[in-house]
Amino acid sequence: MAEISIQINGRKQSHQAEARTHLGDFIREKSRLTGTNLSCEHGVCGACTVLVDGRPVRSCITFAGACEGHEVRTVEGYDDDPIMLRLRSAFSEHHALQCGFCTPGMLATSRDIVLRLPEADEARVRIELSGNICRCTGYQGITAAILSVLQALREQPDDQVQALRAAVVQHVQQDWTQGGFVTFEADQEEVSTVESVAADAGSGEKGKGQAIQGGFDAGFPAAQVWAFMTDLPQVAACLPGAVIESQEGASVQGKIAIKFGPMSAAFKGHATLERDEAHRTAVLRGEGVDSLSQSRARGDVQYQVTAQGETGSRVSVELVYALQGPLAQFSRSGLVQDFVRRMIAEFGKNVNLRLEKPLAQGEQPAVAQFNPVRMFFSILWDRFKGFFRRS
Amino acid sequence: MKAAKFDYERAVSLQQIQDALAGEPGGVRLMGGSQSLGPMLNLRLVRPERVLDVSAVPELQQVSTVNAQVRIGAAVTHAQIEDGLHEALRGHMMQKVAGRIAYRGVRNRGTLGGSLAHADPAADWVLTCVALGARVNVRGSGGTRSVPMADFMVAAYTTVLEAGEFIESVDVPAVSATARWGYYKFTRKVGEFADASCACYFDPATRTARVVIGAMDGAPRFLPELAAKVAAHGAAALAGDTIAAALQPILAQRDPAHQELFRTVVERSLQQALGLKG
Ligand SMILES: Cc1cc2nc3c(=O)[nH]c(=O)nc-3n(C[C@H](O)[C@H](O)[C@H](O)COP(=O)(O)OP(=O)(O)OC[C@H]3O[C@@H](n4cnc5c(N)ncnc54)[C@H](O)[C@@H]3O)c2cc1C
Ligand code: FES
Ligand code: FES
Repeated sequence: MAEISIQINGRKQSHQAEARTHLGDFIREKSRLTGTNLSCEHGVCGACTVLVDGRPVRSCITFAGACEGHEVRTVEGYDDDPIMLRLRSAFSEHHALQCGFCTPGMLATSRDIVLRLPEADEARVRIELSGNICRCTGYQGITAAILSVLQALREQPDDQVQALRAAVVQHVQQDWTQGGFVTFEADQEEVSTVESVAADAGSGEKGKGQAIQGGFDAGFPAAQVWAFMTDLPQVAACLPGAVIESQEGASVQGKIAIKFGPMSAAFKGHATLERDEAHRTAVLRGEGVDSLSQSRARGDVQYQVTAQGETGSRVSVELVYALQGPLAQFSRSGLVQDFVRRMIAEFGKNVNLRLEKPLAQGEQPAVAQFNPVRMFFSILWDRFKGFFRRS
Repeated sequence: MKAAKFDYERAVSLQQIQDALAGEPGGVRLMGGSQSLGPMLNLRLVRPERVLDVSAVPELQQVSTVNAQVRIGAAVTHAQIEDGLHEALRGHMMQKVAGRIAYRGVRNRGTLGGSLAHADPAADWVLTCVALGARVNVRGSGGTRSVPMADFMVAAYTTVLEAGEFIESVDVPAVSATARWGYYKFTRKVGEFADASCACYFDPATRTARVVIGAMDGAPRFLPELAAKVAAHGAAALAGDTIAAALQPILAQRDPAHQELFRTVVERSLQQALGLKG
């Protein structure tokens, strides 16, 4: 807890609050100004919009601490605002409020439109309003209300509103139609520099599930890499999140843990390694269940070590996997592919590291250092956005 | 949901950021406008011990022009760019793109540095900066380095930023009389992240031609041959199914509807650059 002081509606509000308190909660719960409504609390609906230094801002993803020294204005504090006075009566005239839940946020955004965009037409007003959701679908009335205020101000300018508008600094780019296109010979070198993401090549549906291909280079002779890659405990130690619990010949029992914030999965199961010495290819067949989410995963990791000159080799990897249960929901194929590609790269890095610095006799390999956590957060985050997009 | 507990501090100098990151690179999260971090904190997808707000650091708010390059501080907001607050960015491709990011309420706080660091595959700055051939100026305890934007984003939400490093500024080419560009994104609703997007940038003066698509699984992808063709032949290069053919190797796995979306954004972006349509 710390003392946070914010100027709200012209009054200094000082309260003990935690750093994690967002502006919306500070306004409602500390300052007891409950006109501001909170709904989605992750920036999507616009219900919580208030003015910070005169500009609309979402109070649910703006932290109170970040507003110290700034001026906040909420729906309770608009009495002396010439634009808001007009908007208020226009809102009631045009039936722009039904349940009123979205109204405080709508008013803050509407004021911004009237202030910044004197010439806005209906299409523009609608675009500007797109960040505010009205559960009662009162958009027609809201748009009409704003347009009526804009129209009235065009017909009869108001000195007070003019003064507010004059204080807004903006250099609107009027026209962006560009001149004619002059053909030229492009500098090829410049355009083809990027190879930061490997091609999606080779991914797609395969009999048993989704297939993903990848690979990495190892700076060691193929025989040495092959020997390493068929030593299960060694391989597991390089595999992000994997732990071997017991081994019997070419079979292991173990788990692979993936944690992502509120959710975490630990696939417990077994895997068997089949190897083909002549071709230096191996298949690791695994299967596991995550007891928390009751998701099942099944996958074959096939890899081949090929020599590249005397001292280098290439490890090609193909993963064919199938996922069932709740977790499968999060496996939008592109993101999983991306995840696996990065995992393979991380695995390759670890293999190289381990080959450079082999374990001393009797030393236990440590669990690979990796952050599937962070990686999955981000992937999950995208999923979340996907959900809200569709809602 | 509410964020898990963290300590909040506002940085006032670059040195302060550097010291905080050097002290405990894992426990500190930088905060720009909190327009991506805020939702992630609220959903508890991230739980840092300490948050360091960098949005008020004066050096990060500056914009300057050096050798036909505009250097934009990491904490410059989308709205500031949209409003042409800085003369060097008036009439710039950046100004036009800024107005299409999210909603004004988000643009008022969201920063260029935060957007690039977050590295959402569908983010507008990520794509625009790649098309512009921008360079990201990164600062860490070992000094500063400049990373071409094309190499900066490694994969979805992943950048080359190492622990202890942060974005100080971004260099983009200054407004050029000869440059032509286009930007088109397809969204289901205004202000959302793109489902498909394309940015292109052509400048005969520097013999630059780039066509880049965004909203992929990872970093934006170049269409170098298409770019060269359009540079050499103008609108004639678009005859037939040139665009679909250029996209084929990248989009072969996607369903036909998605392929059509991408074909359309590329076409519209190029039409803008060619002066065929606004
Ligand atoms: C409803 C909604 C819709 C949106 N729609 C779009 C859209 O259509 N297009 C689009 O491009 N974006 C969109 N965004 C994202 C928005 O543009 C964000 O402003 C932006 O992605 C993050 O910038 P920020 O300054 O708020 O960064 P923050 O959220 O503060 O930080 C994001 C990440 O960057 C890190 N970071 C911040 N500053 C730095 C720095 N200087 N150096 C290193 N790391 C740093 C943080 O630690 C964090 O990991 C949307 C956001 C919302 C809430
Ligand atoms: S509650 Fe803030 S945007 Fe929805
Ligand atoms: S009036 Fe009910 S949510 Fe808009």
